[in-house]
Amino acid sequence: MKVTIKQWTGVASWKWVANDDNCGICRMPFDGCCPDCKLPGDDCPLVWGQCSHCFHMHCIVKWLQSQPVNQQCPMCRQEWKFNNK
Amino acid sequence: MSDTTNRRANFSNLPENVLNRNHVISIKPTTAKKLTIKNLKSEPKLPDDYREQTWKKLKNAVLAIQQSKPNEDSLEELYQAVENLCHHKMAPTLYQRLHSLTDKHVAHNIEQFLAESMDRYLFLKKMNETWQAHCRQMIMIRSIFLFLDRTYILQSHISSIWDMGLELFGKYILLNTLVQTRVVEGLLMLIEKERQGDQVDRSLLKSLLRMLTDLQIYDKAFEQKFLQATERLYAAEGQRLMQELEVPEYLAHVDKRILEENERVLHYLDPGTKYQLIHTVEKQLLREHVTQILQKGLDQLLSEFRLDDLSLLYNLLSRVKNGLIELCSSFNAYIKKRGRTIVIDPQKDKTMVQELLDFKDAMDNVVVTCFHKHERFSNSLKEAFENFINQRTNKPAELIAKFVDSKLRAGNKEATEEELERLLDKIMVLFRFIHGKDVFEAFYKKDLAKRLLVGKSASVDAEKSMLSKLKQECGGGFTSKLEGMFKDMELSKDINQAFKQHVTVNSRDLPQIEMTVSILTMGYWPTYQPMDVHLPDHMVRLQDIFKEFYLSKHSGRKLQWQPTLGYCVVKAQFRSGLKELVVSLFQTLVLVLFNDCDYISFDYIKDVTNIEDGELRRTLQSLACGKARVLLKNPKGRDVQDEDHFRFNADFTNKLFRIKINQIQMKETTEEQKATEERVFQDRQYQIDAAIVRIMKMRKTLSHNLLISELYLQLKFPVKPADLKKRIESLIDRDYMERDKDNPNQYNYVA
Ligand SMILES: [Zn+2]
Ligand SMILES: [Zn+2]
Ligand SMILES: [Zn+2]
Repeated sequence: MKVTIKQWTGVASWKWVANDDNCGICRMPFDGCCPDCKLPGDDCPLVWGQCSHCFHMHCIVKWLQSQPVNQQCPMCRQEWKFNNK
Repeated sequence: MSDTTNRRANFSNLPENVLNRNHVISIKPTTAKKLTIKNLKSEPKLPDDYREQTWKKLKNAVLAIQQSKPNEDSLEELYQAVENLCHHKMAPTLYQRLHSLTDKHVAHNIEQFLAESMDRYLFLKKMNETWQAHCRQMIMIRSIFLFLDRTYILQSHISSIWDMGLELFGKYILLNTLVQTRVVEGLLMLIEKERQGDQVDRSLLKSLLRMLTDLQIYDKAFEQKFLQATERLYAAEGQRLMQELEVPEYLAHVDKRILEENERVLHYLDPGTKYQLIHTVEKQLLREHVTQILQKGLDQLLSEFRLDDLSLLYNLLSRVKNGLIELCSSFNAYIKKRGRTIVIDPQKDKTMVQELLDFKDAMDNVVVTCFHKHERFSNSLKEAFENFINQRTNKPAELIAKFVDSKLRAGNKEATEEELERLLDKIMVLFRFIHGKDVFEAFYKKDLAKRLLVGKSASVDAEKSMLSKLKQECGGGFTSKLEGMFKDMELSKDINQAFKQHVTVNSRDLPQIEMTVSILTMGYWPTYQPMDVHLPDHMVRLQDIFKEFYLSKHSGRKLQWQPTLGYCVVKAQFRSGLKELVVSLFQTLVLVLFNDCDYISFDYIKDVTNIEDGELRRTLQSLACGKARVLLKNPKGRDVQDEDHFRFNADFTNKLFRIKINQIQMKETTEEQKATEERVFQDRQYQIDAAIVRIMKMRKTLSHNLLISELYLQLKFPVKPADLKKRIESLIDRDYMERDKDNPNQYNYVA
């Protein structure tokens, strides 16, 4: 062997796995954060419903609080259930 | 001139003991008291001819004084005689007789001044002698007639003996038009001579000018003419010297002139003349030429940093009306003109920031040292910098960002921590002037990313310090993404530690490569072009293991590898020994190919690695044509051609064990630059959209003009109204808002 690799410093960027580019509630891109937050990432996470729709956590929580009776997904009107995959 | 000041001026020629009028008055009551007692006791009887005898004695004494002859009788005796005569109601007669004696004597003196052809100087000297003699005589006479002065004269409100003398002197001599003209012209001639640089008899000037003051004709007979002569002289001199002299010499000359004129006041002019005199000089030598002085000389003084001359210029111009205002606006114009040449020429981009810093230092220095830190000037300096620096869009912001990078990058050993800190502060001052701060941010971010990812940052403290400066300047919104980048680096450290443990615990025949990964949150970092390159199997396996580990900790995410940013330490075996090479991932991918083959073609390398063509050529160039040539290229040459072949250079030698082979950077091509600028532009669009939606969401309905003005309050970068209009149209198209059906100038928010 003439050449062997000793150390490797790699770089990778992460993105949310979302089925859309924008949040259906606030219309902001998922690469960014919800309107109430300043920075994307761990502080403004995404959550998925069992209907497979996904939103900023802050957005869907606000939405659900404004819907005391029927907790529905704002996109497909199915009953909202968090998908804890 | 009031009577009292006039009298006080008289005393110039009196000996000290006679001078103090207050003193004279204060002893008066005692004398009066003594008199009353005497009167009560007895009325002395006098010989019949006593009065005439006594007067004769006094008259002889006066004549002797007037002819400068010795006196027969003692002063004491004469004084007593006057007192006696006064007690015998002789006071009015005494005064009258003394008056006529003086009148005759003074009248006689005029003759000598009427002669036709007398040398002016001699004339003045003679006049001065006569005047001095007159004063001397009157003092002596007064001391004899002191009792008269203090009693009768004081009570009857007639001119004192001294004043009577002055009145007569004036009446016969100086109110004679011919004599007066000769005196004044003589004085003006002497002063002009002195102004031309000659030595003149200042005490003569002083004495004669005092004479004019004492006679109360200084203002009318002399001052006016003197000021006119001054004005004429300096008007001509100003015109002439502005042509003949360079500005610094001219200023020095004016300074000298003002000093001289002040001295003139000190030495012989009446202090009351000072204001008008200096004002006249300033007007003729400065005020009339301010514009020309500034036009002709300021640029030179500033560009040559002639601080002493600039201080003088400031001091002189502060003396004339609007002088400093004009100086300030010329200073401002100079900065704009000079500053523009620094920023506008693309040829000088390399040195732009350093030149800006130097220029700012120099101008600050001028304001502090020469312009007394005058607020008008420091504000004007700022305004000028802000103005010229923004005359070239984007570039200064970009270059300032790069300059900071060069200072924060490892290997910059030119400065100590304190020096670096000071430098950063100065850069912040420049940064403050930049309108498009987002352009700065974009480039700064790109460079910061490089420093963080390649571990090239010189000092964490300096990085943090710069960040807090930016935060202070532009607020948290500006730096939040930059801070996010630092946060990502910290988080990555934790993940890498956890990964290391994970690997040691689950050591399934893993490749013997120590792997660390920087995990970037997409929104914080610059956008990188994803590049699909082929890694050797064991590297792919390692990457997958890491990915699996990461995603197990962070659900709902996906990872995108950024091979352009990776780098490795590789061990390479040469004939001379083992070396460690610090190389980019692309360089690594090329090098490992030589484990299996000795001699390979460009095409083959390209095929196997799948590195983009230009990137690959640069990579090969760095390995085969740079300083450390670990590959040999056939045929030789600086550029990599399609037909080239490469061989591992087993004979490679180097003094060092660990060698860093720099990837040849794509020269900051206009493309890359444009790309960054484009991103800034995109980001601005996005920010405009967000601001419009935010405002409309809050206001629900708003007129076009109100919306625009609210936007200008919120947006932190330069933007044209037409661009805002385009964004509004776009949002209407996308149904975020709509035009009011009844009023096309009004918008409604669409929920
Ligand atoms: Zn949202
Ligand atoms: Zn949020
Ligand atoms: Zn749904």
